[in-house]
Amino acid sequence: MSRPPGRKQENRKISRELFVLTYGALVAQLCKDYEKDEDVNICLDRMGYSIGIRLIDDFLARSAVKKCRSYSETADMIAQVAFKMYLGVTASVSCSSAAGNEFSLILDKNPLVDFVEELPAERASLCYCNLLCGVIRGALEMVHLAAEVTFLQDRLKGDAVTEIGITFLRKAEDRKHKRNK
Amino acid sequence: MSRQAGRGTESKKMYWYLPFISPSASMHLMNSELFTLTYGALVTQLCKDYENDEDVNKQLDKMGYNIGVRLIEDFLARSNVGRCHDFRETADVIAKIAFKMYLGITPSITNWSPGGDEFSLILENNPLVDFVELPDNHSSLIYSNLLCGVLRGALEMVSQHLPFQ
Repeated sequence: MSRPPGRKQENRKISRELFVLTYGALVAQLCKDYEKDEDVNICLDRMGYSIGIRLIDDFLARSAVKKCRSYSETADMIAQVAFKMYLGVTASVSCSSAAGNEFSLILDKNPLVDFVEELPAERASLCYCNLLCGVIRGALEMVHLAAEVTFLQDRLKGDAVTEIGITFLRKAEDRKHKRNK
Repeated sequence: MSRQAGRGTESKKMYWYLPFISPSASMHLMNSELFTLTYGALVTQLCKDYENDEDVNKQLDKMGYNIGVRLIEDFLARSNVGRCHDFRETADVIAKIAFKMYLGITPSITNWSPGGDEFSLILENNPLVDFVELPDNHSSLIYSNLLCGVLRGALEMVSQHLPFQ
């Protein structure tokens, strides 16, 4: 595990709402800073990436999970354990390719949009929750799994569900697994 | 905007030791790290947008205010507290229930002014700064200033106009 034994590990649980509203403030700020939705989406993804590469450490320490042996296990881990831990919801997973490297995570309930009714008309292409894609991508990269993560469906845009697509890009390396830090 | 808990003659007591989530609300609990890191991203973005710390502080306070005016409703629904009868009760509710609920900590209440209208909340463990060290060029930054705005906004909605520092 990456955490030295002396580090205090508080299992602090909080109610989501302050986080959700703060996230909204972040997106609103980015919408002030960038005119185009595409730029906001990129910025959210990038921020999420920076968060993900740090969050993975915390996740591995807290969850004490063993190394995943397949993409499928990894996708399950994200949807059932990580989402539960950091967002308080679980997603359902389905494999969407015969090659076994593309997965869909379906969120029935997306807490990040709890206070958002709909996107404003001038922000129709905004991927409001794009931070999540970046977080997953960054976290996976730190465990040597390159992946593309995007929103395939978004309830905020009128789709029936919220669906995150994860495409693993290379075969998972299964040698000695160094967690640096 | 207070909710009547229907506790009859016991309404003066503060049931802060009861579970902070009212039975009718569902349990939406999460670990705080994602919040901590997201907050960091927000502050970082503001530091890019505004040249001086004072402006960042103001913006954080304003954002916090907008959050607070919405959060108070959620708080009242979840916590099921009745109307506070005096400022000391308000302080208790903030420290023991609200902070516990949304940040997972219970600050201590100290430094009451002689008039009983000012007090301090001491946060020993502020989860917002879990991974943070202020760089030298941001020595006037009040990193957690969002919280002041949240408190101000929330209290304003329950009709207590108070300055928070």
